[in-house]
Amino acid sequence: MGADDLLALLPLLVIAAASVVVMLAVAFYRKHMLTVQLTLGGLAIAFISLFAVASVVPRKVTPLIIMDSYALFYMGLIFAASFVVTILSYGYIEGREGRQDEYYILLLLATLGSAVLVSSNHFASFFLGLQILSISLYVLIAYFRVSELGNEAGIKYLILAASSASFLLFGMALVYAQLGTMEFSLIAQRSTAADMRSALLLAGLILITVGAGFKLAVAPFHMWTPDVYEGAPAPVSAFIATVSKGAMLALLLRYFTLVDIRTFGPLFPVFTAIAIASMFTGNLLALFQDNIKRILAYSSIAHLGYMLVAFLASGALAVAAVSYYLIAYFVAILGAFGVITLMSGKVKDADTLDEFRGLAGRRPWLSGIFTAMLLSLAGIPLTAGFIGKFYIVTAGVGSALWLLVLVLAVNSAISLVYYLRIVAALYARSLAEEAVAAPHLSLAGGIVMAVLTLLLVWLGVYPSPFIRMLQTTVARLI
Amino acid sequence: MIMFKLLWLIPALPFAGFIILALTGSRLTRTRTAVIGAGSAGLSMVITILTGIRFIGSPPPGNAYVQVLWTWMSVGGFRPEIAFRLDALSLAMITVVTAVGFLIHLYSSEFMAGDEGYSRFFAYMNLFVGSMLTLVLADNLLLLYLGWEGVGLCSYLLIGFWYKDTYNGYAARKAFVVTRIGDTAMGIGLFLLFTVLGTLQIQELMQRALQQWGSGNVMAGAAAALLLGGALGKSAQLPLQTWLPDAMAGPTPVSALIHAATMVTAGVYLIARTHVLFSLAPLVQAAVAVIGAVTLLIAGFSALTQSDIKRVLAYSTISQIGYMFLALGVGAWSAAIFHFMTHAFFKALLFLGAGVVILGLHNEHNMFKMGGLRKQLPLTFWTFLIGAASLSALPLVTAGYYSKDLILYSAWASEAGSPLLWAAGLAGALLTALYTFRMVFLVFFGEEKTRVERKPGMQIKIPLIILAVLSIIGGFVETPASLGGLHIFTKFMYTALPPVVNLPLPATGEFILEIEAALAPPIGIFIAYLFFLYRPRYTGRLASTPSGSALHRFWFSGWGFDWIYDRIIVRPFLWFARIDKNDFLDLPYLGTIWAGKGVNRLLVHTQTGKVRWYAVGIVIGAILALSAMVFL
Repeated sequence: MGADDLLALLPLLVIAAASVVVMLAVAFYRKHMLTVQLTLGGLAIAFISLFAVASVVPRKVTPLIIMDSYALFYMGLIFAASFVVTILSYGYIEGREGRQDEYYILLLLATLGSAVLVSSNHFASFFLGLQILSISLYVLIAYFRVSELGNEAGIKYLILAASSASFLLFGMALVYAQLGTMEFSLIAQRSTAADMRSALLLAGLILITVGAGFKLAVAPFHMWTPDVYEGAPAPVSAFIATVSKGAMLALLLRYFTLVDIRTFGPLFPVFTAIAIASMFTGNLLALFQDNIKRILAYSSIAHLGYMLVAFLASGALAVAAVSYYLIAYFVAILGAFGVITLMSGKVKDADTLDEFRGLAGRRPWLSGIFTAMLLSLAGIPLTAGFIGKFYIVTAGVGSALWLLVLVLAVNSAISLVYYLRIVAALYARSLAEEAVAAPHLSLAGGIVMAVLTLLLVWLGVYPSPFIRMLQTTVARLI
Repeated sequence: MIMFKLLWLIPALPFAGFIILALTGSRLTRTRTAVIGAGSAGLSMVITILTGIRFIGSPPPGNAYVQVLWTWMSVGGFRPEIAFRLDALSLAMITVVTAVGFLIHLYSSEFMAGDEGYSRFFAYMNLFVGSMLTLVLADNLLLLYLGWEGVGLCSYLLIGFWYKDTYNGYAARKAFVVTRIGDTAMGIGLFLLFTVLGTLQIQELMQRALQQWGSGNVMAGAAAALLLGGALGKSAQLPLQTWLPDAMAGPTPVSALIHAATMVTAGVYLIARTHVLFSLAPLVQAAVAVIGAVTLLIAGFSALTQSDIKRVLAYSTISQIGYMFLALGVGAWSAAIFHFMTHAFFKALLFLGAGVVILGLHNEHNMFKMGGLRKQLPLTFWTFLIGAASLSALPLVTAGYYSKDLILYSAWASEAGSPLLWAAGLAGALLTALYTFRMVFLVFFGEEKTRVERKPGMQIKIPLIILAVLSIIGGFVETPASLGGLHIFTKFMYTALPPVVNLPLPATGEFILEIEAALAPPIGIFIAYLFFLYRPRYTGRLASTPSGSALHRFWFSGWGFDWIYDRIIVRPFLWFARIDKNDFLDLPYLGTIWAGKGVNRLLVHTQTGKVRWYAVGIVIGAILALSAMVFL
């Protein structure tokens, strides 16, 4: 392992070191503000280190990790999202009872796990990254122990994630049994035409899909999503919906650009069925939901379904489409959960539709931002979501996936119902005027929301710089 | 080049003004609101003028400057750019839009002073100016369409500005719906052009059209006809003219800016911009001329019978745009733009003058309740008189004369012209003078019937004076052969638009045409004097005869178009909508809703909150996927 290898690992090392630094800081000098600053500093340095690393990529560091522009791009996305989540968490946690600084250590570790996932080239690093991420999340979800819902959500996530991980492991074992390797690139090379029809390999891949599907929360492995999103603290829900899912999707995308999904007989229809089921389940379940966190959970199920459409289209356009959509989705989901975070009191998250009724009268800016985020999730023009959806449809049409594109179109229409329901509630008259004295907005929170909104519109109006960036980074994967 | 680089600022400044005003709402003081509203338009005007001087002084290569700001998106061959094109045509348009726009903003700062929606008004006005500038500067039809819809939206918002009165809301909806008919045609036209020619970039489009389509090509005809549909709606020409008189429900500065000087001429601009298409479709182009000629006459007769001062001006606007269409139809593109310019000056002036009168008399619109105002409002009277003279095309001294004379001459002499078109234009000229001076005599002469309560201040007087000056000197850039033969304007336009192809005409012939064109206005004014000032009872006697009163009613109602549309379109449509409320076309939608609800009810049962059930879900999923492996 040379100096260049170490340099290539720099982003991961920085995050790992940051978690240790934060831990030591908490041990010796416990102060919320300092902990947050250290966390943010660590994430920022890791983000900057990506540019330093860019000169030595692509490079395989041990068989486990591959650092290429694709990995760097997704790490950047993950670090940026974690940065936002950290800032949101600060306002959310500040002023609560008890000592909460360990939260940030877990957040850094979860980020590290996600970063390992997007750069993994091997089943071992895949599983390692996944477990670093998952175990941090178990605790994060149930972090505020006074919350019954939170405890319930944490336990549920623990049990289900553990069982799905067993599917994953079993699948990996089967693949290894057939091919004798756990390295992605070697799997791709060695799977000969005969292998592709072997039951062992196929079963292995399908079981891996089940394990990954749980993490992505696609139907029918999605049922935990609303309960966990509702129970977890709002910033953690945002983290699960964005970073955790994004990392897993990035990994799948990397794997299946090496191994053409169409060559494995039943895998393609299985993914198609998952995509269709996710779109319908997510959107239909959200229809009459009154809890906004649950709505966003269902919405995220549907969005993963949309992304699978482009995923199945495969090819350079598909990779760019998924990545673009993921950026748009990150921004909008972070923004939406950000609004919930900012609106939440210290005892309970603001998540029922009634709490948001008439918000426009009390907080015109915040409800404007929320509206923008929801419209982007719905894919209305001039927002990032529209361009993202446009790309996905283009990729789908390009590969003649007519059924999927049709389902996507129908689902876009259905999804409008519940997004607009929230928007209508925002601009409706308050039920009771005295209802909720909206909490004070932190400056940092306000700035983050403003930046996210600007980004949302920028991505929607002037997407070409982002698309160029995608073409020079992720699309190189092909 | 540095001056040209600032081109993007011209539409961006009013947009910035709109954003500031929209975000701050009514929190700013009125003075600040006015400064931002009028200031952004004013700055835009300054940049336009500087750019214009630079453009005329040292023209860019190819007499056009294109500023590509960014590519909106790039999907396949579809690369719509946010790009502005400055050439003689767009320069003339933006100069008028920003100059008249600024003057009207200035006027509004006083005119609207007592209104509670002060900042809302300026926000809309700024949005309008920005959209209009985008429309005329756009280098591709998609961006043009964006501006086109933007001005339509602003028109709707401003007609219904006083939304508390339901009639205003009705008028706004009517304007929106009627223009929408045209816009739909135009939208289809854009799709057609893109499908067949593969681009929406205007210059490229015109070249490909020339290469691929010969003269008289069916496709070219269809595309031109569809674009014409959009132009007819926006410019209130037959048969989509019915919305404009009702649009007078908006505040008077709005009528001046949007429904007289700028937006309604967007159709003229569109046709001039895509003139190649129309040249390839001689039939459609002939239709443009005929529509223009018929519209100018119909609207002229209607103007003659109105009692509401603003409706007279509205019909007059329809009629004058008819002239521009006539010019476009005979291939006199530059003449149309010339008339657009002079018309913007004098019609804005007339509306602003009418606004002073209306404001002074407590919102009185009825001319028969006015009278003798020339002593009470001297400045308004003189400027209004200048505007009226220019509108009537009083020979030699007014701008309107030179532009109208050019159109009439082209209507006769151009290849595509005909004596009939010329005769219609000439009759229209007489009619114009007649209804214009009927208005002048009724409002400013005769006995004083009311006291003026509110005298105009400086912010109102300055725009009136400037526009009055422009209404006189604005025409001296282009004079007929017998009056010096200056061709500054058309020569300049020829860098962007092809010259009109005239058939050879002996000099005496031209002279005779000019004499006739010069005689029509004074005759009209004399008749107006006779009937409305000298012997008003003649008019009463004429109107009281059965045929006279029937004709009066017919013209007054705008030739019964509203009535006809109500009977043959609106009512049958409503009737059909009523009986067809539950037709099968709704089934897919209702089915989606029904299925959505049903499946939702089923799916909700899966969300039990029980971990064991969730785990079973995962297992079932795995089993299904594995069995797929067996069966597929």
